[in-house]
Amino acid sequence: MVTPAPKQPVVHVCDMDFCYGSSRALQDISLEVEYHRVTALIGPSGCGKSTLLRCINRMNDRVTGARVTKGEVKVKGKNIHDADVDLTQLRKQVGMVFQKSNPFPKSIYENVAYGLRIHGEKRKNVLDEAVERSLRQAALWDDLKDRLAANALALSGGQQQRLCIARAIATLPDVLLMDEPCSALDPISTLKIEELMHQLAQNYTIVIVTHNMQQAVRVSDYTAFLHLGKLVEFAPTEELFTNPHEKLTEAYLRGTFS
Amino acid sequence: MIPAPTAENPFAGDNSGIQKRETIARWALRVGSYIVVLTTAAIMLHIFAKGAPVAFQSKWPFVNTQFLTELPATLHVIEGKQGQHIETDVNGADAAKQELGDNFASEKTISYSGGGILGPIVGTALLVIVSVSVALFLGVCCAIYLSEYAKKGKFLETVRLAILNLAGVPSVVFGLFGLGAFVLTAPVFVDVPAERSVFAIPLGFTTLSFQGWDTCVLSGGFTLAFVILPVIITASEQCLQAVPQGFRETSMALGATRWQTIRYSVLPFATPGILTSSILGIARAAGETAPIMFTAALAFKDKLPWQKDLPPLPADASIFAHWEQSVSRFLGIFTESVQALPYHIYTLAAKIPQNEYAERAQYGSVFVFLVLVASLAAASIWLRIHLRKKYKW
Repeated sequence: MVTPAPKQPVVHVCDMDFCYGSSRALQDISLEVEYHRVTALIGPSGCGKSTLLRCINRMNDRVTGARVTKGEVKVKGKNIHDADVDLTQLRKQVGMVFQKSNPFPKSIYENVAYGLRIHGEKRKNVLDEAVERSLRQAALWDDLKDRLAANALALSGGQQQRLCIARAIATLPDVLLMDEPCSALDPISTLKIEELMHQLAQNYTIVIVTHNMQQAVRVSDYTAFLHLGKLVEFAPTEELFTNPHEKLTEAYLRGTFS
Repeated sequence: MIPAPTAENPFAGDNSGIQKRETIARWALRVGSYIVVLTTAAIMLHIFAKGAPVAFQSKWPFVNTQFLTELPATLHVIEGKQGQHIETDVNGADAAKQELGDNFASEKTISYSGGGILGPIVGTALLVIVSVSVALFLGVCCAIYLSEYAKKGKFLETVRLAILNLAGVPSVVFGLFGLGAFVLTAPVFVDVPAERSVFAIPLGFTTLSFQGWDTCVLSGGFTLAFVILPVIITASEQCLQAVPQGFRETSMALGATRWQTIRYSVLPFATPGILTSSILGIARAAGETAPIMFTAALAFKDKLPWQKDLPPLPADASIFAHWEQSVSRFLGIFTESVQALPYHIYTLAAKIPQNEYAERAQYGSVFVFLVLVASLAAASIWLRIHLRKKYKW
């Protein structure tokens, strides 16, 4: 289907516990994300799937009292909590797209170029190329190439979210984290984003949090099911949805609880 | 009798009591609002009616340039025996007396009531420039720190409480604080420390002496800055908080540092609000009287701050050849004491005998002052509307 994955996983969560202050949000999580695959995190609200996602680029650092209390998270073989890890470099290589599309109230061009600019890129031709490449990969170039100077807020909701994807991939990250990227979009826009994810998987490794199980089936190669902060089951998507090993997974998929 | 619901009118009932209370409440609220509006209108109209004729005139250029471009002066009123009536300044008074000769009957002098109010306008402008620069710098720094860096907790609560208390301090206390802190003890570089210096640190080539800045624009401006600081901090913090958290998250997720995030995706969108609130700060700073009484303002001064008895710079060289002197002379403007509009109004109202000749300067000053404050408020509204259009999310 896609380029064969190297043996080492790009994201490796090893036996991790994660706490907000004194309450434990994640427990004994072990997860391996392969190169150029889409991995979906599913589970009921409050199960910790967003928290797990935000562990991968250390966005939880912003929350007071939030910390990993056991185990480690490795990205590209490096423990991201090591003292010699530069957070800005980590986040440059592990991009993120949020639930709410939030383009800056700047021009389309400036939105996409933002990541490169803050990493010190000033050369106009490099920026131009990156903007075009990112917009092409986000399937926006043909629509927007004539109005790159327009304010990004003038775009429709679906376009805004794809712009946010373009902005995230402008820095050429290895991993793209998506936190319920379609939950605020209409079905057509959702479909477009899902198509986009298939294409993006050729160049990037995607980890997506979704509460929509059909979406997980449609877009992902692997699915992880989380419940109450624990990883219940992690398997190839087809296997997990057709033949779950765990009773809990089966019950969740049948809708017995949510 | 209470009408009972019937088949024809299933909604019949008696609500006259409720209606009565409703009417009373509506009228009470309405009367309250009317009183406020009427009082404001009365004050404004009174000042406009009495002050506008001083500031404007019926002939071109329709603005009384004399009132706006001259320094305050003593008004001499000379009356002759045949009913002559001459209002003039000190120079005109002698000439008029000579002309009248034996006809001269009486002369009245009214302090500060002649001339114009250029001195106070210039002084207030300088004070506002200094105070707003200082307050904006300190206030925005403080607001950014509180809103973006400080951890939520006891410390932050204490600081917020302190700022709130600062806003409640009476302005005369600020004035006395400014007198003690800036006029008498602020540090200056001097060759020889003054005798009153609190302590002096010799630095070799010069001495850092804590001997104060004297009464001057700088002292007054800093004092006023602390008066408006709470307003600016609170407003700036609100403006920063109004910028969506998503912008910060996105920026951080792209690898930006905290300062880059603030610099590129928070501050640009908070600036319109900060500027708007700082203009309201200007209006406040321009209007305060007590803080400048001890720190900057004089009741009367016959020179503008830049009019000093200094030898002129050599005419042959350009301004750049003497840039050191030019700069020091420019800075010298801020070490002069000045007249200020609110203090001038206070002087006119309380320190000179009241008569029909004093009214002109009194109402004129108040009118000009109100126009200045109103135009600042208008500018702030215009700026807000304009910038909101540009930055919306």
